[in-house]
Amino acid sequence: MSAVQPLIGRSIERKEDYRFLTGAGQYTDDIILPQQTYAWFLRSPHAHARLRSIDTSAARAAPGVLAVFTSKDLAGIGGLPCGWLIKSIDGSPMKEPKHPVLAEEKVRHVGDPLALVVAESLVQAKAAAALIEVDYEVLPVVVDTAMAAKSGTAVHDMAPDNVCYTWAIGDKAAVDAAFARADHITRLSIVNNRLIPNAIEPRAANASYSRADDSYTLYVTSQNPHVERLLMTAFVLGLPEHKVRVIAPDVGGGFGSKIYLYAEETALVWAARRVGRPIKWTAERHESFLTDAHGRDHVSIAELALDRGGKFLALRVHTTANLGAYLSTFASCIPTILYATLLAGQYAGGRLSRCRPSGSRVSARAHRRACGPRAAHRSRRAAPAQLHPRFPLCQPCRAQLRHRRLRSYPQSGVGFC
Amino acid sequence: MSVTIQLKVNGRPVSAEVRADTMLSTFLREQLRLTGTHVGCDTGSCGACTVHLDGRAVKSCNVLAAQAQGREVTTIEGVTPVDGSLHPMQAAFKACHGLQCGFCTPGMVMCAIDLVTHHEHATDEQIRAGLEGNLCRCTGYHNIVRAVAQAAKVMGR
Repeated sequence: MSAVQPLIGRSIERKEDYRFLTGAGQYTDDIILPQQTYAWFLRSPHAHARLRSIDTSAARAAPGVLAVFTSKDLAGIGGLPCGWLIKSIDGSPMKEPKHPVLAEEKVRHVGDPLALVVAESLVQAKAAAALIEVDYEVLPVVVDTAMAAKSGTAVHDMAPDNVCYTWAIGDKAAVDAAFARADHITRLSIVNNRLIPNAIEPRAANASYSRADDSYTLYVTSQNPHVERLLMTAFVLGLPEHKVRVIAPDVGGGFGSKIYLYAEETALVWAARRVGRPIKWTAERHESFLTDAHGRDHVSIAELALDRGGKFLALRVHTTANLGAYLSTFASCIPTILYATLLAGQYAGGRLSRCRPSGSRVSARAHRRACGPRAAHRSRRAAPAQLHPRFPLCQPCRAQLRHRRLRSYPQSGVGFC
Repeated sequence: MSVTIQLKVNGRPVSAEVRADTMLSTFLREQLRLTGTHVGCDTGSCGACTVHLDGRAVKSCNVLAAQAQGREVTTIEGVTPVDGSLHPMQAAFKACHGLQCGFCTPGMVMCAIDLVTHHEHATDEQIRAGLEGNLCRCTGYHNIVRAVAQAAKVMGR
């Protein structure tokens, strides 16, 4: 009997490298379909403004233009959903303002799309977009995460204090008791700054509609085409799921930013039927900066209660998390389920982590978008209570610090490197 | 306003009409359908569009197609042998796991070939400096540097 080589321990070469190395990969922007048309989005230059009027007449008459759409044309379709509904401490549901595909009445971040231009070429689409006349009533901006709840400017009317929810996990009474009897309390202020994922491949989509069988095909830079299809068909466009095929070809990096259902591909799928020809869109890098889901942007106060021997008794963390101008598909679960549950790390000891993230909205001047799973991924390494060696218990030398941490490991002896 | 350009691309003569303001990257990708050259930014920062112009690495998003008039352009497709094998640089990237999503890879390979061709015995520091114009979000660069050093040995450089 011939020996079967086990795979474990062997170096296995990847299958996809050949096509990537030779320029034979197929990324979404590589695709040009017969009868292709090109899309360009007009985006708000203001972080916060009321849309008094939008006049697209000159744009619609521009050379090569097939159509110009605004939210008025999209009336009747749903908003982009937030798929994780959090309840506040008092049991009330979180605020869930509508995230329209194209801005209605207000724009809430720089880059917020308010019109879609479809033309024979990208050059013509961009030229036509420049002819769209928008009357903005500029409003005060909210750019400071820590101060957003006190800013006096509501980004969404249904959240006058810009707070989406106030959530908590843990045993408050036990934690408070542990702090009361602690021999030592260390308190840290930590800012986990906002991140822009910046995959080298910008987001892109190519949508087409077939009259032959009333079906849609969407090529899109998605990390999860099934989720994309479900959300788009069930929650926004009201289409039967089996009539929409979503294809993620080779994708040039995502890092979480390509998880979500975005306005652009949704608008393209909707418009493909109206225009009757395939529509292609690729973000430019400045659009990626403005409109890809951002990560992190947490402001925290973390407190650790210790006994005389340096053993951890309790951990209390208060985090204000910026969810952005609009909720991304999973915005609300990032600073809650995917963050607070990780704060205790591998450490045992009493009742750990009373964490109170309160998601608040910031209509940032230069940025946008709610947290993505990137925030959670990073928070596994950077959350305040991961007890980075710099966590200043007092002024211990490294050996003492390590000893203290070891004493707080669970009895099962789960290690930590 | 259109201009007619005549150039060589991957060894073959090409004659085409282009808008005067068309960048070389757009011309290669959309008119010649050589999509191995990628566009990752608006500012000539990322290097995903790197090709060779008369044998030297350039960022094709920063070169007008019209500037290639009468010159030779080589893309990632052009350095790939037609028999299914790999250029030593490509082989080294594969062996050293110097790519993940692959989007920066053609530009990285083109830049690295220029680097190794024109700098003998390049040190790690020189490789890192030479690739400064090419960004990668996936690999963290170490395996790319290893790949370039390995390819240099194979290429006798």
